[in-house]
Amino acid sequence: MCPVTTTTAAGADGLTKVYGEGEARVVALDDVTVDFHSGQFTAIMGPSGSGKSTLMHCVAGLDTPSSGRVRLGEVDLSGLSDDQLTAVRRDRVGFVFQAFNLLPTLTALENITLPLDLAGRRPDPALVDAIVAAVGLGDRLGHRPAQLSGGQQQRVACARALVTSPDVVFADEPTGALDSRSSAALLALLRRGVDEFGRTVVLVTHDPAAAAYADRVLFLADGRLAGELTEPTANRVLDRMKTLERVA
Amino acid sequence: MWRAMVRDLRAHRGRLAMTLASIVLGVAFVVSSWVLADSTAASVRATDLRSDVDVVVSGHDLTDADLADLAALPGVSAARGVLAGRAALVGADGKLVAGPHDTAGTGWDRTDRFVLTAGREPRGPGEVAAADGTELSTGDTARVFLADGRQVRATVVGTFGYRTVGSEPAPRLAYDQDSARSMFGSYHWIELTGEHIAVPPAPGRQVDTARALGEQATADAEAAAGSTRETLLAFAAVALLVGGFVIANTFAMLVTQRVRQYALLRAVGATRRQVRRAVLGEAAALGAAGATGGVLLGLALAFTALVLAQDDTEFVVSPLGILVGYAVGVGVTVVAAHACARRAATVAPVAALRTDALTPPHRTRRVRVAAGLLLVAAGVATVAATSGVDDLGTTERIVGLVGGIVAWLGVLVLAPELSAALRPVAALLTRLGGPATRLGARNALRDPRRTAATSSALLVGLALVCAFATLGETMVSMFGDTVRATVPATTTVLRPAAGDEPLGTDVLDRVRDTPGVTGAAAQRYGSATVATGGRTTVSAIEPDAFGTLLTPPLVAGTADLRTGFVVGTNEAAMLGVGLGDQVTLDFDGERVTRPVVGLHTTTEAQPLFYLDVAAAPAWLRDRTTTVYATGTDPAAVRTALDRAFAGRPDVRVTDREGVIDEDMGEFAAVLAVMYAMFGAAVVIAIFGVVNTLALSVLERRREIGVLRAVGARRRLVRRAVRVESLVICGYGGITGIVVGVGFGAVMQHVMLGRELFAISVPYLVIGVSLAGMVAVGVLAALWPARRAARTDVLVAIATR
Repeated sequence: MCPVTTTTAAGADGLTKVYGEGEARVVALDDVTVDFHSGQFTAIMGPSGSGKSTLMHCVAGLDTPSSGRVRLGEVDLSGLSDDQLTAVRRDRVGFVFQAFNLLPTLTALENITLPLDLAGRRPDPALVDAIVAAVGLGDRLGHRPAQLSGGQQQRVACARALVTSPDVVFADEPTGALDSRSSAALLALLRRGVDEFGRTVVLVTHDPAAAAYADRVLFLADGRLAGELTEPTANRVLDRMKTLERVA
Repeated sequence: MWRAMVRDLRAHRGRLAMTLASIVLGVAFVVSSWVLADSTAASVRATDLRSDVDVVVSGHDLTDADLADLAALPGVSAARGVLAGRAALVGADGKLVAGPHDTAGTGWDRTDRFVLTAGREPRGPGEVAAADGTELSTGDTARVFLADGRQVRATVVGTFGYRTVGSEPAPRLAYDQDSARSMFGSYHWIELTGEHIAVPPAPGRQVDTARALGEQATADAEAAAGSTRETLLAFAAVALLVGGFVIANTFAMLVTQRVRQYALLRAVGATRRQVRRAVLGEAAALGAAGATGGVLLGLALAFTALVLAQDDTEFVVSPLGILVGYAVGVGVTVVAAHACARRAATVAPVAALRTDALTPPHRTRRVRVAAGLLLVAAGVATVAATSGVDDLGTTERIVGLVGGIVAWLGVLVLAPELSAALRPVAALLTRLGGPATRLGARNALRDPRRTAATSSALLVGLALVCAFATLGETMVSMFGDTVRATVPATTTVLRPAAGDEPLGTDVLDRVRDTPGVTGAAAQRYGSATVATGGRTTVSAIEPDAFGTLLTPPLVAGTADLRTGFVVGTNEAAMLGVGLGDQVTLDFDGERVTRPVVGLHTTTEAQPLFYLDVAAAPAWLRDRTTTVYATGTDPAAVRTALDRAFAGRPDVRVTDREGVIDEDMGEFAAVLAVMYAMFGAAVVIAIFGVVNTLALSVLERRREIGVLRAVGARRRLVRRAVRVESLVICGYGGITGIVVGVGFGAVMQHVMLGRELFAISVPYLVIGVSLAGMVAVGVLAALWPARRAARTDVLVAIATR
C-alpha cells in the first residue's frame, strides 16, 4: 500500500546527545544512525527515557546534537546558526506537539497559514483549500483556538504542519491529550498527509494503536536503536514493546 | 500560609522588580520633599540669628540725637545706629539687577551682623564689601545707582555673610561708615543691647524686642517650608497615584498567573479570608521593601539636592518624614492590591482540578461601564453647563473644574472598555504590517483590562503634563494677544529695570521733553478692593492716552475716563456690574466711586479697571509703573528714548514684544519645573509598561516556543513584543493627550475666564509627548523583548 522509495527525507549519522556533566551526565542518544524515507509514515516507539523525543528534537533542528550529523532533505544541520535553523524549520519541517500548538490570538485559519506568513510566502490556494477540507473544520475556521475542542485544535496544528509542503512532519505524542475518537481522526489526517499530499511523517508515540497507522516502526531503548517493524499492527507493536521493556 | 506567601514572594522576585521600582520612586519623592522642607525650615531656625541685640528701634530719619537719647536709657549697655539705604546694583547690561534694592546698602561695622568670607573690610571711599550670592568677588567693580540718581563705583575688597535679627532683608553692599553716611544719610534702625530696656513710644517709630523679631522670622520660615512641603507633596501624590496603577496591575497579573495555586490552597482547607490575607500580606511586605528603598533613595536625593544647592542648608531627617514614607509605601501598595486580593479569594477550589486556562471571574464589567459613562456624562454636562463666559462667577468656575475632574475619572474607569477602539487600529495594522505587527497588536488587545491598566498610568501622567501645557500655552498666547491688542506696535514702553519697583517720577517729564515725542502717558498700576467683591487691579492713567498710546479693545460704552471707569468684561461679570452702575474702589482707606462707562476685553494679566489719574489717590498718582510714548515717527521716538535713557540703569526702554518676552520668560521657567515634577509620574508609568510586558512574556512562554518552533526568528519575536509595547504606549499616550488638552481647556476656562475652546494647543509639548511615547514604547520593550527572544524552544514546548 505504501509507495516504495529509496530517497530519504531526513536522517542522522552517529547521532549522540549528552546532557549534563560529571555525576549528572546522561546519555540520551548513543550513536544513532537512522533514515526517514520520503513519502513514508514512520513511528518512533520506546519506553520512557529511551530517547525518542530527543531524537525527534535533534532531527527537527529544535536541539543541537553533541556529536554526529543530522540531514534534513539535502541540508546538513550541523553548524547552522539559530536564524538558519529557524529558516530550515520554517521551510522544511512541520510540527505537531502534544498540546498548546496554537497561538490563542490567531484564528484557526490564521494559525494554519502562520508558517507561510512568517516566511512572507503567498499560500497556494488550492493546497490550502485541500488541506482545510481534509481538516474538516467547516465553518469553524474563523474561530479562535479557545472556541475549538482539543481534537479540533490538534487537527488545525496538523494542517499547519502540512501547509508549507515540508520535507518532514514531526508529531510528538500528538494524541497524548485526546480521547480515542479524536485520536483516530487525527492519525487518519496524518495518514492522508502521506497518502494524498505525499508528505513524510515521523510520529513519536508510546501508543501501539497510534503506531499501527505507520508504514514502519522504529524502536528505541536506552538511547539506541532496538529494531524496527514494517507494516505494523497494534498487536505486533505491543508484543515488541513488552520484549523491550523486559530487556530494559 | 505566611511561609507559603513569603516563599512565593521570593520566587517572584524578578516579576516584582518593576513594581518595587515604582514604589521606591513614589516613596522617594515623598521622603525627599519632606526632608527638603524640614531642612530649609531648620536651617532658618538654626541660622544663628543675632544674639548681641536685645531691642531694635526702627523709623524714618533716626538721627545721632536719637541714638544718644536711646543710649542714655536705663539698662542700655550699648546702642548702635545702622545706616541703610537704596543701593541698586547695576548689572553687566547697564541696567539694574533684580531687586529688592531699598535697603541693599549699609555701613560696615564690627558687630555680629557681618561674617567676612573673603578679603577684608571696606576702609575708605571707593571700597565696598559685597554679600555672598551677589556674583561679585574681590577685585570686581561694583556700580551702584543711589536713590538720588547718583551713580557710584567702588572696588570690591571683601565678601561677607550676613546675620539678621529677624526677617529683615539682608543688605548686598557694605561701605565704610563715612561713605555710608554720605550715601544713606540717616539711620534705618538703632540696635540696643542691655537688660530691662523700656523705650518710650514716639510717633513714626517702632520698637521690637530682638526675641520677638527672631520668633517671627522662624515662624515665617516654617510657614514657607510648610507650603513648599504641601506643593511638593501634591506632585508626589500624583506620582503615587500612577504607582498605584502599576501596583494594581502587577497584582492583577500575579493573581491570574497563580489561580491554580490559590485553588489548591482553598482545596486543602484555606478559607477565603486566609487567601485574601495572604495576598494583602504579600502586598504589605512588598510595600515595606519598596518603602525601605524609597526612604533611602529619598534621603540620598535630598542630600544631593542640598549639596548641589551649596547654601549651607543643614540636612535634617525627621523620624516623621521616614514614618510617612513607610506609611505611604505600604498604604498605597495594600490599597492598590486590595481588589486583586478579593478576586484571588473568589477562586473556587475546583479550579485546581481543571486543566484549561483559567482566569478568576470578573463580574464588574457592566457596573464599570455604567459608572464610567455616568461619570463622563455628568462631567461633560457640568462643564457644558458652566461654559458661558458672560456670567462666569466663582461658583461656576469651581463647579466647572470639578466637572472636568469627574469626566477625567470617568475616562479612567472606562479605559478597559475604551480600548475596544483599538480593534480597528489593530485590524489596520494587521492588514498593513507583517506577522510581527499582527501578533503584537493582537497581544496588546488580548486582555483589554491589562492594556488599559498599564496605559492608565501613562494616561494620568501625560494628561497632567498636557493639561498644564495647554493652560500655559493659552496663557502665553492670551498674554501676548492682550498686550498686542492693548499696546500698539508704534508705542515705546518704558519699564522699571528691576522688577516691581516703580519708575522715578521724573521719567514721564523726561519722556515728554524728548524730541519727537508727541504723546506720552504714565500708567500707575496698583490694586484696590472692590466694595462688593475682592481685590482687583487698577491702572490710573491720563485719559488722552486711549486711542493712540493704548488701545484696549472696547466692546461697550465709551473710553472716556473723565466720566468714569473702563472695566474688563470678565471682571464686570465676576462683580455683576454693567454700564452705568456705580462702583466703589477702596485704595487702602481712600475710596473712589465712579460709574462704569466702558467695557473692554482683557485678561487677568492686564489691568481690569482703568481710572482717570486725576481721580486716583495721591500715593497712586506718584507710583508710575510704565510710561508709554509715541510720536509722528515712532522709530525715531524709540531711538531718541533709547539714547535719552542710556545712562539710566533704572529704566528699560522696550516695546510690546519686549514686554511679552520678559514677562513670559519667568512663566516658562515655572512651567518647566512643573513638567519635571509630573515627569516623575511618567517615569513610574514607564516602569509599569516594562512590568506588564515582562509578565506577559513570561505568561506566554509556551506560545513563544511554538512560534519559534514553526519558524519565527528571534527578531520577529522581539518585534512582536515591541509592537505590543508601542500599541500600549500609543493608547495611553493618545488618550492622555486628548484628556490632557480637554482638561487644560477646562482649566483655562475656569482660571482665565475665556471661552472653553479658545485654547492654544501646545503643539510642541504634544509633539514631544508623541515622540516620547514612541521612544518609551521601544525602550520599555527592550528587556522584555530580549527575554522573549531568548525563550528556549524545547523548555517552552515541553509538556511537563
